[in-house]
Amino acid sequence: MNAVSLRRACKAFGDVRAVDALSVTVPAGSIYGFLGPNGAGKTTTIRMIMNIIRPDDGDIEIFGDTSIERARTRIGYMPEERGLYRKMKVGKVLAYFGAIKGVASSELARRVPEWLERLDLASWADKKVEELSRGMHQKLQFAVTAINAPELLILDEPFSGLDPLNTDLLKSIILGMRDEGKTVIFSTHVMHEAEKLCDFILLINRGKAILDDRLSSIKSRQRSHAVCVELEGYTGFITDLPMVTRVDQDGSRLQISLKENADPQQLLRELLDRVRVQAFEIKVPSLHEIFVDLVGASDVQDS
Amino acid sequence: MYKILKVAQREYAETVKTKAFILSILALPVMVVAVIFFAGLLADTRGSARPPIKVTVTDLSQELSDEINTSFEKYHDRNPKRQILLQELDEPNGADAAEAQGKNKLRQGQTDVYVLLDESIVEGSGKMRLYTYKPKPAHDEMLGTIEYLLREAVVNRRYELHQLDRESLAKLRNVPTDRVEIGSAGDTERVQSKADAITRMMVPFFFMYLLFLGIVGTGQQMLSSIIDEKSSRVIEVLLSAVSPFQLMAGKIVGQVGISLTVVSLWGSGAYLAARSRGLNVEIPPEMAPYFAVYFILGFLLFSSIMVGIGSICNTIKETQSLMMPVILTCVVPMVAWMNVVRHPDGMMAKVLSFIPPMTPMVMILRLSAGSDIWIGEVLASVLVLAAAALAAIWLTAKVFRTGILMYGKRPGVREVVRWLGQK
Repeated sequence: MNAVSLRRACKAFGDVRAVDALSVTVPAGSIYGFLGPNGAGKTTTIRMIMNIIRPDDGDIEIFGDTSIERARTRIGYMPEERGLYRKMKVGKVLAYFGAIKGVASSELARRVPEWLERLDLASWADKKVEELSRGMHQKLQFAVTAINAPELLILDEPFSGLDPLNTDLLKSIILGMRDEGKTVIFSTHVMHEAEKLCDFILLINRGKAILDDRLSSIKSRQRSHAVCVELEGYTGFITDLPMVTRVDQDGSRLQISLKENADPQQLLRELLDRVRVQAFEIKVPSLHEIFVDLVGASDVQDS
Repeated sequence: MYKILKVAQREYAETVKTKAFILSILALPVMVVAVIFFAGLLADTRGSARPPIKVTVTDLSQELSDEINTSFEKYHDRNPKRQILLQELDEPNGADAAEAQGKNKLRQGQTDVYVLLDESIVEGSGKMRLYTYKPKPAHDEMLGTIEYLLREAVVNRRYELHQLDRESLAKLRNVPTDRVEIGSAGDTERVQSKADAITRMMVPFFFMYLLFLGIVGTGQQMLSSIIDEKSSRVIEVLLSAVSPFQLMAGKIVGQVGISLTVVSLWGSGAYLAARSRGLNVEIPPEMAPYFAVYFILGFLLFSSIMVGIGSICNTIKETQSLMMPVILTCVVPMVAWMNVVRHPDGMMAKVLSFIPPMTPMVMILRLSAGSDIWIGEVLASVLVLAAAALAAIWLTAKVFRTGILMYGKRPGVREVVRWLGQK
């Protein structure tokens, strides 16, 4: 069962094609990261899913339904532009959004304090929203998003403005939700967040998908040709080995780049014969590098 | 429906709680009381001091001098602080010479008013002529007084010549009268005072003005509520929970509720105040349902127009130019008030009743003016108004959906019209 699916969705603002024939399928129970540089079309895509802006072309289905109206109460959406009623009290705001999301008031009486407790906002329940700090506001915004126990969470840049402690808190809540079988879509341009959370990655640049796959298969496909080692003894011979293209000194470590078909195991054997090996690491490319690589390449292609 | 009510409930609760709202509710009665108080003060100024005014009189009949002096002396006795300096200008060379000299005095500023009484004035064929040069507005009222005083002098002279007694004539002319209004119960009756007539005139105006204040006053609340939602960026969060139509409908329902609250508070306050001052305000109870219908439909129509305006603006300042035509529409019935109340079945009243934004105000005027409007006409106007309110809601829904998410420049007319075309 798919939580969300887009087929060739298009949206243009004037001459700019913000989203260009984008297709993506988000399976239920997964965490899907929408990645891309600023202005790639992440927010536009999310807004189209939420029917806040209408696609010029293409189909969007949520829980297999083309209308979002029936699905609204099953979704929690946190927009990029955060906003709550500034003059209302924290507890009231949360209860109000719960109510318009269709949560019964008896249920809200239980859930509101529960969420405030969970996000460390319990002592602020009777304060006005405008008195909250930016980080607290952000947490309250997340509580508003999740108050209706949604099956699908759509979070636009959920971690921006949070300190590391709160980021971890939010991450653990998101992971917990996935474990309960809920689906999470979130957008970010901070790669290491995506790397720790996502099952799937959609990489968008200039409104087009340039990568859409499981994170694990992306990583295994992007094979590395670099090894990082820490050695004791004379290391000058490494440059002359047949499979090595270049060696870079990185503090006490060496970065060794290998030829296209070279086997890192072969290198290890050679090293063991001649020096003491303290550390040997086959470098898996980080999402960050993949991102920079692919976005750079697609920009070059387009221009 | 549940969501619409929830949105309406919040709109109502959050608005009614604000200080600005409570102040604005209190401001009107305070202002009314203040106006009445100052009007009282102003009325008192009639007897207050005023710089003396100079009057020059040429009496060609040469027989009024005594009468004129008596007449002016009596005036001075009654108004010691408001002197009229009387000068006589004798001119033996005839009317034309006197006139020329008087005009000259006026132009040179030696006198404020010059009066020429014809030779034959006492017989009745001559005229009294009052000349002024560049009169000040303050002199207008005095001109009336001067004319009255001189007329008295002439009339007194005539009485004298005919040997009539002034006082017995006045007695003869006097017929004491009471206008009595009887109630529906056999024994209730009351003598009408002047205040009753004024009240009868003012009650229709009051109801219309109540509607006007409800529209304009709470319209501002509505605008600031939408602008606030836009600027605090809460719209997108709201739209994840409710559809744009539900949000809009909720705001309109909440707004109508606020308007009705305000109007009933003011209305009952004014009614009680009028009763406590002994004014006879009678509103036939069978009017109540009509009033309710017109008020509710009127508020619906105007609230949805306000929502539309608010949704395409980002600041209160931007809303002002769009509010102008709305306010002007409301002002038309206020200007037409007298005419409509005096001729509730006249052409103007009938035509204005069927121009939707004016319908509620004009119909309330006509109904409370106590005219028997054919029920068919009432129903037709209700239908027209209801259709207009629905059309306004339908159009606003289209504008609202797009406008509410627009930031930056306010869209032009052409762009808004394009939104109306979107399905």
